[in-house]
Amino acid sequence: MLKYIVRRLILAIPVLLGVSVLAFLIISAAPGDFLDAYRMNPSITRDQLRLLERQFGLDQNVFVQYFKWLGNVLTGNFGYSFTYRVPVFNLVWRRLGATLLLSITTMIFTWGIAIPLGIYSALHQYSLSDQTFSFLAFIGISIPNFFFALLWLFMSAKTGWFPIGGLISQNFNDLSFFGKIGDYLWHVVGPMVTLGTSGLAGLMRQMRGQLLDQLRQDYVLFARAKGMPEKNVIYKHAVRNAINPIVTIFGYALSGLLGGAVLTETVFGWPGMGRLVIEALNAQDLFLVMATLLLSAVLLVIGNLLADLMLAWVDPRIRFRLG
Amino acid sequence: MKKFLVLVSVLLIAGLALSATEYKVENFNGKTGGTFYYWGLGDPKSFNIDWAQETSSTVPLGFIHATLLEADEGGMPTESGLAKEWWFSDDGLTFFVKIREGLKWSDGAPFTIDDVYWTFVDVSLNPEQTANGNGSYMDSNDQLPVVEIVDSTTISFTWTVPMVTALRQVGFRTIIPKHALSEAVASGTYAEQWTIADVDKLVGMGPYVMTEYVEGVRIAFERNPNYWKFDANGVQLPYLDKLNYEIISDQNTALLRFEAGELDIYGPSAEQFPRLAGMAAEKGWVTGVGGPALGSEFITFNFNTKDPVKNEWFRNEYFRKAFVYALDRQSIIDSLYNGLGSPLYGPVSPSSGFYNPEIEKYNYKYSITRARLELKKGGFDWAPDGTLVDSKGNKVEFELLTNAGNRTREAIGNIVVDGASKLGIKVNYTPIQFNTVVSRLLDATYDAVVIGLTGSVDPGTGWNVYRLDGGLHFWNYPPFYNEEDHITEDMYILPDWEKRVDEIYRLQTSAVVDQDRYDLFAEFQMLFAEYQPVVFTMAQNFLYVHKGDFHLTIPQLSPATGILYQVEGFWKD
Repeated sequence: MLKYIVRRLILAIPVLLGVSVLAFLIISAAPGDFLDAYRMNPSITRDQLRLLERQFGLDQNVFVQYFKWLGNVLTGNFGYSFTYRVPVFNLVWRRLGATLLLSITTMIFTWGIAIPLGIYSALHQYSLSDQTFSFLAFIGISIPNFFFALLWLFMSAKTGWFPIGGLISQNFNDLSFFGKIGDYLWHVVGPMVTLGTSGLAGLMRQMRGQLLDQLRQDYVLFARAKGMPEKNVIYKHAVRNAINPIVTIFGYALSGLLGGAVLTETVFGWPGMGRLVIEALNAQDLFLVMATLLLSAVLLVIGNLLADLMLAWVDPRIRFRLG
Repeated sequence: MKKFLVLVSVLLIAGLALSATEYKVENFNGKTGGTFYYWGLGDPKSFNIDWAQETSSTVPLGFIHATLLEADEGGMPTESGLAKEWWFSDDGLTFFVKIREGLKWSDGAPFTIDDVYWTFVDVSLNPEQTANGNGSYMDSNDQLPVVEIVDSTTISFTWTVPMVTALRQVGFRTIIPKHALSEAVASGTYAEQWTIADVDKLVGMGPYVMTEYVEGVRIAFERNPNYWKFDANGVQLPYLDKLNYEIISDQNTALLRFEAGELDIYGPSAEQFPRLAGMAAEKGWVTGVGGPALGSEFITFNFNTKDPVKNEWFRNEYFRKAFVYALDRQSIIDSLYNGLGSPLYGPVSPSSGFYNPEIEKYNYKYSITRARLELKKGGFDWAPDGTLVDSKGNKVEFELLTNAGNRTREAIGNIVVDGASKLGIKVNYTPIQFNTVVSRLLDATYDAVVIGLTGSVDPGTGWNVYRLDGGLHFWNYPPFYNEEDHITEDMYILPDWEKRVDEIYRLQTSAVVDQDRYDLFAEFQMLFAEYQPVVFTMAQNFLYVHKGDFHLTIPQLSPATGILYQVEGFWKD
């Protein structure tokens, strides 16, 4: 299995290289560059703009720029952000905590609710509770995130039950250790529920559908016929078979852990990666965009690998083999 | 006896030194203590004042830094700051600044004339060290000043021609600490200094010092223990001990936070203002409406498109004036700004002391009849189907661009289309990405664009727009201005009034007497009002609301003062 993992990782190198070439070319092909905001500044002269172009290396051919960047990356230097003037991974690092806090709690919230509800709905197909859960989940998926976020903030402002956005309270520094943890959790509820509700329906319906499929299979009929306890039939056989595609989805979800969610983050004032990336894209902060894109690509590769490993674990029929 | 004399003289000197540090602001009379809760839209990008570009960075930096001169209520550099006295030589070529003695940086190091000299010579005047470059320090001969230290408290700046804008350029320049930054400047790494990770390194002369920056949450400030301003009763400023600058990424969230009492003062959008004004009496808030903002949105027509037929139209002053009349500005102000805006017909906002009310004699207003009259005067006529044709029979149709995502500009684009259709003109209007708009503007490959530029009280700061060789003179770039330019000598036409505007912009920097500058800018506004090279639209009024127990230093804020005017004098009951 170790050999398999190593081979998969080696195969990832050309994938990442390809991603970097494409990303670099597409960003460069977009009209304008980082200095456009400077160009519209009435106090900056044309000579100064030429000087800045040289300083940022934007006066060079895109291929020269790419290979320079690649050379630096191979020595571990991912470049400086044009906007912030600090190494790009310092910026990513600063946002990591808040991003993971939100994405992991959201994941726990979504998966923790969707999977049991999906199973429950499948076992009680067309019952009132199945219909109710589906209905609620679809309300969640139909309300746009930014609107749900605004509703949540409005509710918080009116009732005072939750904070009006943000990551921590104004008196955070005076809190005890557990107080601080509680403060983080109190603040994460809003964005977590906003993001969680929108992903709930899809996952729940998937689980429900898969399980229903399995329950109609002959082996379930056989197991029941031979008098196996219903619990065993469902949880040892049907669910285990139904979970297969869900594991693949889980692998993809892992790659989104660091992606962030722009609209929800913006409304809640959550200092996550999504806002960093969207601001970098708008400003055409080349190296920062490249770093975050590469990071997502790496996570996608790893997420896929983990998903495959987990598949083999839940499904003994799958063997490690590279075609 | 001798010892006694020594003692007395030591005490005297100490007493003098003490009194020298005190700069009393007579009209401040507040209470000390408390925390000031303010907010900003989005995270700062840099804590380096020379590389920070967005207000999300420059506003928080304003709390920790000080300048030689400070703005009066009209936004002009007439108030004493770090400079105790300042004057021009008789020939107007040299500007002298005498700094206050005995002041200290926030880290306790002495503030000296060396800091001032180094800030200008090594940083400001060296284009490699700042993002904005040194263009605004050049006189009308494009020469930089010679800077000299006259004595231990006085510094001089000498240009080749008189340079009144020295008051603003030198006076409003943030003085930075030589002892903290000279190494980085000398080694060429200044741009990477004082980034958002360097809060603990920042040193300034401002009323506050930065103590903490939490990404996406807040920037925390505490009072600068070495701050050099005192109030009438000898109380050291600022009054408010702490300052919490909350970082909020969404205007609606900020509104909710203000309503919940988490912010002391808030500059609402025109959409939000009526709601806040309605709640003000009940909540005890104080609301304020100032004049129209200093920056403005305008429509620019390209005199040098690749199509000679279009150039004929756009160079025709009557054509442009028809658009001045054809825009229903008031309906936009009503729908977009809740009526809290003002139509603008010239490049200087009525909020500026330089505004020339004489331009109102042109009596521009919304009138399709008068727009048609102007087109007639310009030699245009209408085909039987109502479409406008020029004197050679070409149908008038052009492309209008603006950057997508800016609601005001998109709305202006819509009224342009609407007004034009009433004149029989077909306007193909497309909001596109900001960067594309910029490159089309700067390459002069557009027909017409709705765009805005930041404004200031002093029209002199717009030199890069109004001078013929200015980088943003996009309506009529001179030939071969850009590489691979399509503008040739043959097609370029330079009207007399454009020459005069250029001349005014060169003369104004060297006008020694203030009145001369007023007169020059008055003439400049008359020329713009008459020829309308770009068609100005409207500006939102300056709006603010603050809590009842929170006090400002002046009764009425304006676009010229901004919200944070004299922040060191803010206080709470």
